[in-house]
Amino acid sequence: MLLELSEEHKEHLAFLPQVDSAVVAEFGRIAVEFLRRGANPKIYEGAARKLNVSSDTVQHGVEGLTYLLTESSKLMISELDFQDSVFVLGFSEELNKLLLQLYLDNRKEIRTILSGLAPSLPSYHNLEWRLDVQLASRSLRQQIKPAVTIKLHLNQNGDHDTKVLQTDPATLLHLVQQLEQALEEMKTNHCRRVVRNIK
Amino acid sequence: MELSESVQKGFQMLADPGSFDSNAFTLLLRAAFQSLLDAQADEAVLDHPDLKHIDPVVLKYCHAAAATYILEAGKHRADKSTLSAYLEDCKFDRERTELFCTEYQNNKNSLETLLGSIGRSLPHITDVSWRLEYQIKTNQLHKMYRPAYLVTLNVQNTDSQSYPEISFSCSMEQLQDLVGKLKDASKSLERATQL
Repeated sequence: MLLELSEEHKEHLAFLPQVDSAVVAEFGRIAVEFLRRGANPKIYEGAARKLNVSSDTVQHGVEGLTYLLTESSKLMISELDFQDSVFVLGFSEELNKLLLQLYLDNRKEIRTILSGLAPSLPSYHNLEWRLDVQLASRSLRQQIKPAVTIKLHLNQNGDHDTKVLQTDPATLLHLVQQLEQALEEMKTNHCRRVVRNIK
Repeated sequence: MELSESVQKGFQMLADPGSFDSNAFTLLLRAAFQSLLDAQADEAVLDHPDLKHIDPVVLKYCHAAAATYILEAGKHRADKSTLSAYLEDCKFDRERTELFCTEYQNNKNSLETLLGSIGRSLPHITDVSWRLEYQIKTNQLHKMYRPAYLVTLNVQNTDSQSYPEISFSCSMEQLQDLVGKLKDASKSLERATQL
Protein backbone atom coordinates (compact mmCIF):
# COMPACT_ATOMS: atom_id res chain seq x y z
CA MET A 1 0.00 0.00 0.00
CA LEU A 2 1.46 3.28 -1.08
CA LEU A 3 1.09 6.58 0.65
CA GLU A 4 -0.69 9.26 -1.30
CA LEU A 5 1.06 12.56 -0.80
CA SER A 6 -0.80 15.73 -1.69
CA GLU A 7 0.82 18.51 -3.69
CA GLU A 8 0.96 20.74 -0.66
CA HIS A 9 2.60 17.99 1.34
CA LYS A 10 5.20 17.43 -1.38
CA GLU A 11 5.91 21.17 -1.41
CA HIS A 12 6.54 21.18 2.31
CA LEU A 13 8.82 18.21 2.09
CA ALA A 14 10.72 19.79 -0.81
CA PHE A 15 12.64 21.78 1.77
CA LEU A 16 14.37 18.70 3.12
CA PRO A 17 16.87 18.06 0.28
CA GLN A 18 18.05 21.66 0.61
CA VAL A 19 19.62 21.02 3.98
CA ASP A 20 22.19 18.43 4.98
CA SER A 21 21.38 15.12 6.61
CA ALA A 22 22.24 16.22 10.11
CA VAL A 23 19.55 18.87 9.84
CA VAL A 24 17.02 16.38 8.48
CA ALA A 25 17.80 14.07 11.39
CA GLU A 26 17.27 16.99 13.74
CA PHE A 27 13.95 17.77 12.07
CA GLY A 28 13.01 14.15 12.56
CA ARG A 29 13.73 14.46 16.25
CA ILE A 30 11.64 17.66 16.45
CA ALA A 31 8.80 15.92 14.59
CA VAL A 32 8.66 13.05 17.08
CA GLU A 33 8.87 15.48 19.96
CA PHE A 34 5.95 17.34 18.38
CA LEU A 35 3.95 14.15 18.52
CA ARG A 36 4.92 13.50 22.08
CA ARG A 37 4.42 16.93 23.49
CA GLY A 38 2.94 19.33 20.99
CA ALA A 39 4.46 22.08 18.87
CA ASN A 40 7.08 24.48 20.14
CA PRO A 41 7.24 27.61 17.92
CA LYS A 42 10.49 28.79 19.51
CA ILE A 43 12.33 25.82 18.10
CA TYR A 44 11.16 26.71 14.61
CA GLU A 45 12.39 30.26 14.99
CA GLY A 46 15.79 29.15 16.27
CA ALA A 47 16.24 26.69 13.43
CA ALA A 48 15.03 29.24 10.83
CA ARG A 49 17.65 31.75 11.93
CA LYS A 50 20.46 29.22 11.79
CA LEU A 51 19.46 27.99 8.34
CA ASN A 52 18.69 31.44 7.02
CA VAL A 53 15.14 30.68 5.93
CA SER A 54 11.71 31.79 7.11
CA SER A 55 10.30 30.06 10.18
CA ASP A 56 7.27 29.11 8.10
CA THR A 57 9.46 27.02 5.85
CA VAL A 58 10.93 25.23 8.83
CA GLN A 59 7.50 24.67 10.31
CA HIS A 60 6.13 23.25 7.09
CA GLY A 61 9.14 21.03 6.75
CA VAL A 62 8.69 19.60 10.23
CA GLU A 63 4.94 19.23 9.82
CA GLY A 64 5.39 17.52 6.49
CA LEU A 65 7.80 15.10 8.06
CA THR A 66 5.45 14.53 10.99
CA TYR A 67 2.56 13.77 8.71
CA LEU A 68 4.70 11.40 6.66
CA LEU A 69 5.70 9.51 9.79
CA THR A 70 2.23 9.35 11.32
CA GLU A 71 0.48 8.23 8.15
CA SER A 72 3.09 5.55 7.56
CA SER A 73 2.87 4.37 11.17
CA LYS A 74 -0.92 4.43 11.20
CA LEU A 75 -1.12 2.22 8.11
CA MET A 76 1.85 0.17 9.23
CA ILE A 77 3.21 0.17 5.70
CA SER A 78 6.07 -2.12 4.84
CA GLU A 79 9.62 -0.93 4.23
CA LEU A 80 9.22 -1.48 0.52
CA ASP A 81 5.99 0.50 0.35
CA PHE A 82 7.54 3.32 2.32
CA GLN A 83 10.52 3.48 -0.01
CA ASP A 84 8.25 3.46 -3.05
CA SER A 85 6.05 6.19 -1.61
CA VAL A 86 9.02 8.42 -0.85
CA PHE A 87 10.58 7.70 -4.23
CA VAL A 88 8.08 9.98 -5.99
CA LEU A 89 9.55 12.94 -4.13
CA GLY A 90 12.76 12.56 -6.11
CA PHE A 91 15.08 12.76 -3.15
CA SER A 92 18.65 11.50 -3.04
CA GLU A 93 19.41 7.89 -2.13
CA GLU A 94 20.94 9.08 1.14
CA LEU A 95 17.88 11.12 2.12
CA ASN A 96 15.55 8.26 1.30
CA LYS A 97 17.55 5.94 3.53
CA LEU A 98 17.48 8.49 6.33
CA LEU A 99 13.72 8.87 6.09
CA LEU A 100 13.22 5.11 6.09
CA GLN A 101 15.38 4.77 9.19
CA LEU A 102 13.45 7.56 10.86
CA TYR A 103 10.23 5.71 10.11
CA LEU A 104 11.42 2.32 11.38
CA ASP A 105 13.02 3.71 14.51
CA ASN A 106 9.98 5.66 15.61
CA ARG A 107 7.11 3.58 14.28
CA LYS A 108 6.37 1.72 17.50
CA GLU A 109 6.33 4.80 19.66
CA ILE A 110 4.19 6.73 17.20
CA ARG A 111 1.67 3.90 17.09
CA THR A 112 1.49 3.95 20.88
CA ILE A 113 0.81 7.67 20.82
CA LEU A 114 -1.85 7.23 18.13
CA SER A 115 -3.55 4.46 20.08
CA GLY A 116 -4.16 6.96 22.86
CA LEU A 117 -6.33 9.00 20.50
CA ALA A 118 -8.98 6.33 20.16
CA PRO A 119 -12.29 6.77 21.97
CA SER A 120 -11.81 5.11 25.27
CA LEU A 121 -13.50 4.15 28.44
CA PRO A 122 -11.90 4.24 31.82
CA SER A 123 -9.46 1.39 32.00
CA TYR A 124 -8.60 -0.87 34.87
CA HIS A 125 -5.56 0.04 36.89
CA ASN A 126 -5.72 -1.74 40.25
CA LEU A 127 -8.02 -3.27 42.84
CA GLU A 128 -7.74 -3.20 46.61
CA TRP A 129 -10.04 -5.15 48.89
CA ARG A 130 -10.92 -5.46 52.54
CA LEU A 131 -13.11 -7.82 54.54
CA ASP A 132 -15.60 -6.19 56.88
CA VAL A 133 -18.23 -7.50 59.25
CA GLN A 134 -21.07 -5.22 60.21
CA LEU A 135 -21.90 -5.71 63.87
CA ALA A 136 -24.66 -3.19 64.47
CA SER A 137 -26.43 -0.21 62.99
CA ARG A 138 -28.73 2.47 64.26
CA SER A 139 -31.74 0.39 63.32
CA LEU A 140 -30.55 -3.10 64.28
CA ARG A 141 -28.18 -4.34 66.97
CA GLN A 142 -26.25 -7.58 67.27
CA GLN A 143 -25.66 -8.25 63.59
CA ILE A 144 -23.08 -10.37 61.85
CA LYS A 145 -23.10 -9.17 58.28
CA PRO A 146 -19.96 -9.94 56.27
CA ALA A 147 -19.08 -7.69 53.37
CA VAL A 148 -16.17 -7.13 51.05
CA THR A 149 -15.14 -3.52 50.50
CA ILE A 150 -13.40 -2.87 47.22
CA LYS A 151 -11.43 0.11 45.95
CA LEU A 152 -11.29 0.08 42.17
CA HIS A 153 -8.60 2.23 40.54
CA LEU A 154 -9.36 3.37 37.02
CA ASN A 155 -7.49 5.50 34.49
CA GLN A 156 -9.00 7.66 31.83
CA ASN A 157 -7.00 9.97 29.60
CA GLY A 158 -4.37 10.28 32.26
CA ASP A 159 -6.85 10.99 35.04
CA HIS A 160 -6.84 8.61 37.91
CA ASP A 161 -10.23 7.81 39.42
CA THR A 162 -11.09 5.55 42.34
CA LYS A 163 -14.42 4.02 43.18
CA VAL A 164 -15.18 2.53 46.57
CA LEU A 165 -17.73 -0.24 46.38
CA GLN A 166 -19.03 -3.06 48.48
CA THR A 167 -20.37 -6.51 47.88
CA ASP A 168 -21.56 -9.55 49.82
CA PRO A 169 -19.81 -12.94 49.84
CA ALA A 170 -22.30 -14.60 47.50
CA THR A 171 -21.99 -11.87 44.88
CA LEU A 172 -18.20 -11.99 45.18
CA LEU A 173 -18.18 -15.67 44.26
CA HIS A 174 -20.53 -14.91 41.40
CA LEU A 175 -18.22 -12.15 40.13
CA VAL A 176 -15.21 -14.44 40.23
CA GLN A 177 -17.07 -17.16 38.39
CA GLN A 178 -18.36 -14.85 35.66
CA LEU A 179 -15.00 -13.18 35.05
CA GLU A 180 -13.19 -16.50 34.96
CA GLN A 181 -15.58 -17.54 32.23
CA ALA A 182 -14.68 -14.35 30.39
CA LEU A 183 -10.99 -15.26 30.54
CA GLU A 184 -11.71 -18.83 29.41
CA GLU A 185 -13.42 -17.46 26.33
CA MET A 186 -10.11 -16.35 24.81
CA LYS A 187 -8.98 -19.96 24.80
CA THR A 188 -11.93 -21.30 22.85
CA ASN A 189 -11.59 -22.50 19.26
CA HIS A 190 -13.77 -19.70 17.99
CA CYS A 191 -11.57 -16.97 19.40
CA ARG A 192 -8.38 -18.70 18.38
CA ARG A 193 -9.65 -18.97 14.83
CA VAL A 194 -10.52 -15.29 14.69
CA VAL A 195 -7.14 -14.25 16.06
CA ARG A 196 -5.36 -16.51 13.61
CA ASN A 197 -7.26 -15.39 10.56
CA ILE A 198 -7.70 -11.67 10.95
CA LYS A 199 -4.34 -10.12 10.23
CA MET B 1 -34.97 0.01 75.49
CA GLU B 2 -36.11 3.59 75.73
CA LEU B 3 -39.86 3.82 75.53
CA SER B 4 -41.94 6.91 75.96
CA GLU B 5 -44.93 7.41 78.17
CA SER B 6 -47.31 7.36 75.24
CA VAL B 7 -46.24 3.83 74.37
CA GLN B 8 -46.97 2.76 77.89
CA LYS B 9 -50.35 4.52 77.93
CA GLY B 10 -51.25 2.92 74.58
CA PHE B 11 -50.46 -0.52 75.92
CA GLN B 12 -52.40 0.07 79.09
CA MET B 13 -55.43 0.83 76.95
CA LEU B 14 -54.78 -2.30 74.93
CA ALA B 15 -54.63 -4.32 78.15
CA ASP B 16 -58.09 -3.23 79.17
CA PRO B 17 -60.77 -5.71 78.05
CA GLY B 18 -63.32 -2.93 78.40
CA SER B 19 -61.70 -0.88 75.62
CA PHE B 20 -60.49 -3.81 73.49
CA ASP B 21 -62.22 -7.17 73.58
CA SER B 22 -60.20 -10.27 72.65
CA ASN B 23 -61.06 -10.07 68.96
CA ALA B 24 -60.32 -6.35 68.68
CA PHE B 25 -57.01 -6.83 70.47
CA THR B 26 -55.89 -9.54 68.06
CA LEU B 27 -56.96 -7.49 65.06
CA LEU B 28 -55.13 -4.39 66.21
CA LEU B 29 -52.01 -6.39 66.97
CA ARG B 30 -52.04 -7.97 63.51
CA ALA B 31 -52.69 -4.58 61.93
CA ALA B 32 -49.62 -3.16 63.68
CA PHE B 33 -47.37 -5.90 62.31
CA GLN B 34 -48.94 -5.66 58.90
CA SER B 35 -48.45 -1.94 58.53
CA LEU B 36 -44.77 -2.33 59.42
CA LEU B 37 -43.94 -5.38 57.41
CA ASP B 38 -46.27 -5.50 54.47
CA ALA B 39 -45.02 -3.24 51.70
CA GLN B 40 -48.48 -2.99 50.20
CA ALA B 41 -50.26 -2.11 53.43
CA ASP B 42 -52.25 1.08 53.27
CA GLU B 43 -54.08 3.27 55.74
CA ALA B 44 -57.15 1.05 55.55
CA VAL B 45 -55.41 -1.50 57.75
CA LEU B 46 -57.48 -0.31 60.71
CA ASP B 47 -60.72 -0.32 58.72
CA HIS B 48 -61.92 -3.70 59.93
CA PRO B 49 -65.68 -3.92 60.75
CA ASP B 50 -64.86 -5.48 64.17
CA LEU B 51 -62.90 -2.37 65.11
CA LYS B 52 -65.57 0.11 64.08
CA HIS B 53 -67.03 0.40 67.57
CA ILE B 54 -63.83 1.77 69.03
CA ASP B 55 -63.06 5.50 69.01
CA PRO B 56 -60.74 6.08 65.98
CA VAL B 57 -58.46 8.34 68.03
CA VAL B 58 -57.94 5.52 70.53
CA LEU B 59 -57.37 3.06 67.70
CA LYS B 60 -54.68 5.21 66.12
CA TYR B 61 -53.03 5.90 69.44
CA CYS B 62 -52.81 2.24 70.37
CA HIS B 63 -51.75 1.23 66.85
CA ALA B 64 -48.91 3.74 67.01
CA ALA B 65 -47.89 2.56 70.48
CA ALA B 66 -47.81 -1.06 69.36
CA ALA B 67 -45.86 -0.28 66.20
CA THR B 68 -43.31 1.79 68.12
CA TYR B 69 -42.81 -0.96 70.64
CA ILE B 70 -42.45 -3.63 67.97
CA LEU B 71 -39.73 -1.63 66.23
CA GLU B 72 -37.82 -0.98 69.43
CA ALA B 73 -38.03 -4.63 70.42
CA GLY B 74 -36.84 -5.70 66.99
CA LYS B 75 -33.97 -3.22 67.04
CA HIS B 76 -32.69 -4.51 70.36
CA ARG B 77 -33.47 -8.14 69.57
CA ALA B 78 -35.61 -8.44 72.65
CA ASP B 79 -36.24 -11.95 73.89
CA LYS B 80 -39.48 -13.36 75.26
CA SER B 81 -38.72 -12.56 78.88
CA THR B 82 -38.02 -8.89 78.09
CA LEU B 83 -41.28 -8.67 76.16
CA SER B 84 -43.30 -10.39 78.86
CA ALA B 85 -41.83 -8.22 81.59
CA TYR B 86 -42.79 -5.00 79.82
CA LEU B 87 -46.25 -6.19 78.87
CA GLU B 88 -47.00 -7.34 82.39
CA ASP B 89 -45.90 -3.93 83.63
CA CYS B 90 -48.56 -2.50 81.36
CA LYS B 91 -51.12 -4.71 83.01
CA PHE B 92 -51.45 -7.24 80.20
CA ASP B 93 -53.07 -10.48 81.33
CA ARG B 94 -51.44 -13.83 80.60
CA GLU B 95 -53.50 -14.51 77.51
CA ARG B 96 -52.71 -11.21 75.82
CA THR B 97 -49.04 -11.45 76.71
CA GLU B 98 -48.88 -14.91 75.12
CA LEU B 99 -50.67 -13.67 72.04
CA PHE B 100 -48.29 -10.75 71.61
CA CYS B 101 -45.23 -12.95 72.06
CA THR B 102 -46.51 -15.47 69.54
CA GLU B 103 -47.26 -12.80 66.94
CA TYR B 104 -43.86 -11.28 67.57
CA GLN B 105 -42.13 -14.63 67.17
CA ASN B 106 -43.94 -15.26 63.87
CA ASN B 107 -42.86 -11.93 62.46
CA LYS B 108 -39.42 -11.71 64.02
CA ASN B 109 -37.43 -12.69 60.94
CA SER B 110 -39.21 -10.30 58.61
CA LEU B 111 -38.85 -7.55 61.16
CA GLU B 112 -35.12 -8.08 61.55
CA THR B 113 -34.61 -8.26 57.81
CA LEU B 114 -36.46 -5.00 57.41
CA LEU B 115 -34.49 -3.24 60.12
CA GLY B 116 -31.22 -4.62 58.82
CA SER B 117 -31.86 -3.21 55.38
CA ILE B 118 -32.28 0.34 56.64
CA GLY B 119 -29.19 2.41 56.69
CA ARG B 120 -26.44 3.89 54.58
CA SER B 121 -23.78 1.85 53.02
CA LEU B 122 -21.40 2.02 50.13
CA PRO B 123 -22.72 1.41 46.64
CA HIS B 124 -23.30 -2.30 46.41
CA ILE B 125 -22.22 -4.44 43.47
CA THR B 126 -25.05 -6.67 42.37
CA ASP B 127 -23.87 -8.14 39.12
CA VAL B 128 -21.22 -8.05 36.43
CA SER B 129 -21.40 -8.33 32.67
CA TRP B 130 -18.52 -8.58 30.26
CA ARG B 131 -17.77 -8.32 26.58
CA LEU B 132 -14.78 -9.68 24.72
CA GLU B 133 -13.78 -7.79 21.58
CA TYR B 134 -11.00 -7.96 19.08
CA GLN B 135 -9.82 -4.49 18.08
CA ILE B 136 -8.70 -4.26 14.47
CA LYS B 137 -8.52 -0.59 13.69
CA THR B 138 -9.39 2.96 14.71
CA ASN B 139 -9.40 6.00 12.47
CA GLN B 140 -6.02 6.89 13.92
CA LEU B 141 -4.45 3.48 13.90
CA HIS B 142 -4.87 0.64 11.43
CA LYS B 143 -3.86 -3.01 11.80
CA MET B 144 -4.21 -3.18 15.55
CA TYR B 145 -5.23 -6.83 16.29
CA ARG B 146 -5.64 -6.74 19.99
CA PRO B 147 -8.21 -8.50 22.20
CA ALA B 148 -9.82 -6.39 24.91
CA TYR B 149 -12.48 -6.85 27.55
CA LEU B 150 -15.23 -4.46 28.52
CA VAL B 151 -16.52 -5.09 32.04
CA THR B 152 -19.62 -3.51 33.51
CA LEU B 153 -20.43 -3.68 37.20
CA ASN B 154 -24.08 -3.23 38.12
CA VAL B 155 -24.23 -1.17 41.26
CA GLN B 156 -27.06 -0.32 43.60
CA ASN B 157 -27.12 2.72 45.84
CA THR B 158 -29.00 2.07 49.06
CA ASP B 159 -30.28 5.55 49.68
CA SER B 160 -31.01 6.96 46.27
CA GLN B 161 -32.38 3.75 44.78
CA SER B 162 -30.47 4.59 41.65
CA TYR B 163 -28.66 2.00 39.58
CA PRO B 164 -25.52 3.53 38.18
CA GLU B 165 -23.16 1.32 36.26
CA ILE B 166 -19.41 1.29 36.32
CA SER B 167 -17.83 0.31 33.04
CA PHE B 168 -14.20 -0.06 32.24
CA SER B 169 -12.00 -1.69 29.66
CA CYS B 170 -9.07 -3.96 30.34
CA SER B 171 -6.60 -6.17 28.59
CA MET B 172 -6.37 -9.87 29.23
CA GLU B 173 -3.49 -9.40 31.68
CA GLN B 174 -5.39 -6.74 33.57
CA LEU B 175 -8.47 -8.95 33.82
CA GLN B 176 -6.30 -11.77 35.13
CA ASP B 177 -4.98 -9.38 37.75
CA LEU B 178 -8.49 -8.34 38.70
CA VAL B 179 -9.77 -11.91 38.95
CA GLY B 180 -6.70 -12.94 40.92
CA LYS B 181 -7.33 -10.25 43.49
CA LEU B 182 -11.03 -11.10 43.79
CA LYS B 183 -10.11 -14.74 44.30
CA ASP B 184 -7.72 -13.74 47.09
CA ALA B 185 -10.55 -11.88 48.74
CA SER B 186 -12.92 -14.82 48.52
CA LYS B 187 -10.29 -17.25 49.84
CA SER B 188 -9.71 -14.93 52.76
CA LEU B 189 -13.43 -14.86 53.36
CA GLU B 190 -13.57 -18.66 53.37
CA ARG B 191 -10.74 -18.85 55.86
CA ALA B 192 -12.35 -16.26 58.09
CA THR B 193 -15.63 -18.19 58.20
CA GLN B 194 -13.82 -21.31 59.31
CA LEU B 195 -12.32 -19.68 62.38
